[in-house]
Amino acid sequence: MRWFPLARKEFRGIVRYKGTWLFTLLLVYFGYQPSYVGYQGVGSDITIAYIQNFATLLLPLGVLLLSYRSIIKERRSGSLKIPLGLPLTRTDVLLGKIAGRTVGLGASVLVACLALGGYGLVRYGLFSPLRFVAVVLTTLLYVLVLVSIATAISAVTRRAITATVGVFAGLYLPLFAFWRSIVHWVNGMVTGAGANTATGGGVQTFAPGESYFLLLRLAPGNAYTVLTNWTLGVGNAARGYIGVIQQTQFASGMGGSTIVETALQDPPVYLHEAIGLLVLALWAVVPIGLAWLRFTRGDVL
Amino acid sequence: MSDNSIELRGVTKRFDNTVAVDDLSLTVKDDETYGFLGPNGAGKSTTISMLLDYQRPTEGTARVLGQDPQTDGAEVRAKIGNLPDQYSTYNKLSARRHLQFVIDTKGVDDDPERLLERVGLTDVINEPAGTFSQGMKQRLALAMALVGEPELLILDEPFTGLDPHGVRTVRDIVQAERERDTAVFFSSHILGQVELVCDRIGILHNGRLIAEGTLDELRANIDADEDASIEDIFVAYTHDSVRATTEGVR
Repeated sequence: MRWFPLARKEFRGIVRYKGTWLFTLLLVYFGYQPSYVGYQGVGSDITIAYIQNFATLLLPLGVLLLSYRSIIKERRSGSLKIPLGLPLTRTDVLLGKIAGRTVGLGASVLVACLALGGYGLVRYGLFSPLRFVAVVLTTLLYVLVLVSIATAISAVTRRAITATVGVFAGLYLPLFAFWRSIVHWVNGMVTGAGANTATGGGVQTFAPGESYFLLLRLAPGNAYTVLTNWTLGVGNAARGYIGVIQQTQFASGMGGSTIVETALQDPPVYLHEAIGLLVLALWAVVPIGLAWLRFTRGDVL
Repeated sequence: MSDNSIELRGVTKRFDNTVAVDDLSLTVKDDETYGFLGPNGAGKSTTISMLLDYQRPTEGTARVLGQDPQTDGAEVRAKIGNLPDQYSTYNKLSARRHLQFVIDTKGVDDDPERLLERVGLTDVINEPAGTFSQGMKQRLALAMALVGEPELLILDEPFTGLDPHGVRTVRDIVQAERERDTAVFFSSHILGQVELVCDRIGILHNGRLIAEGTLDELRANIDADEDASIEDIFVAYTHDSVRATTEGVR
């Protein structure tokens, strides 16, 4: 645990940064989305679902923004020479950075969860404490994943601009913002099935196969959504809980279901919700593992 | 325990097409103060980077305190005090927190206040380093280098940005560490300071060690007067070398 003082320093830096707590406020603001449909579906657990609301787009954006410069910035300024000149291995430096940032940003996310929980408790009454804890823990794991990915990018880039472009164009946009569209497009290219496209013979129903479902939930954000939907008990799907409830309750004739149970007769094991944990674990380990290979070889400055 | 603090054997460092350090062999004994001289861009900082494992040699081997910085870097650095060149302090952290961070990471129980006293920074101990002048930052970095009574002090351009008082402070500290039998390896292009504190001097030029020895030995080699200043010596050596290389190119 040689890296503990470094982690503590990182942690202090984050909790003393005003932006971190502005982020908390934004999370609460984006999380609080009262919904009639949502309340019908999960009752007072809608309070827990508020966490999922902010975790879909804002949480990854914020955590990536607050983390992707952690190493590249110090490399450019020269302050990275301080920890690297101390009895720390390069691995220690990565670990300390990730641990300190995860705990710091985790604290800011936890405060947002508790604020929403407190408000919801008064507004909608008691929710399931177990489900609340499970969703909070999943969210904190998600924070670790995001910090880990951002640190990986920060560790392998040599120029700040590369890191910025990499984190937005290479990561956030495709993986978090447009993953569904990308999977849709790829699926269409491969299977020739468009999404509810009007053809000569009428509207062609979009009936995705197993691989479509799998691909969709391989993105870290969707793995998180699958896990939290599982906890909320709304259905096995990689989309926001309100959408899932809408599909189960007011099953519209339009389009095939994005819920595994209703779309597939005999869903394969790999589409089980618990696999989401494995997906998150891989995202927590693989990018930083590759960055580690690069960071611990050759010149670091 | 090795008798040598630093041992470089045939160390070469190439970046793409440029050779920063060229077949450098150099030894610093464990009680020696070694002045590493050279014009800007001679390869001094690159050499020091390889001692600390910021960078790794393309060829050759480096041993620091008997160990290989590449494989035992953390252990080596536990016994080193290091003042880097072109570093930055943490702007928002106070002087005390900087020292506490180094003390905690090294796992020793030095007193930040006492260390800052040595470099003359006690009056700003709780101020964030971002408000410091270049000279104050340099003093802070020097205090950080002194944490844990290191066996080897590596000071890269320690006089940068210092006023005359600061220069005196650095010199006094080097002197005190010498008396404590700490090996000191420092680089500089400010010549006057080097002759005052160094046992031995090496002159690096274009990545090559073109001269090495005590001040007297260096003087003798170029048939200089007894009162030739280190500046004269330096110019004589680097000038010859410059001429040699340009003629070589032609």
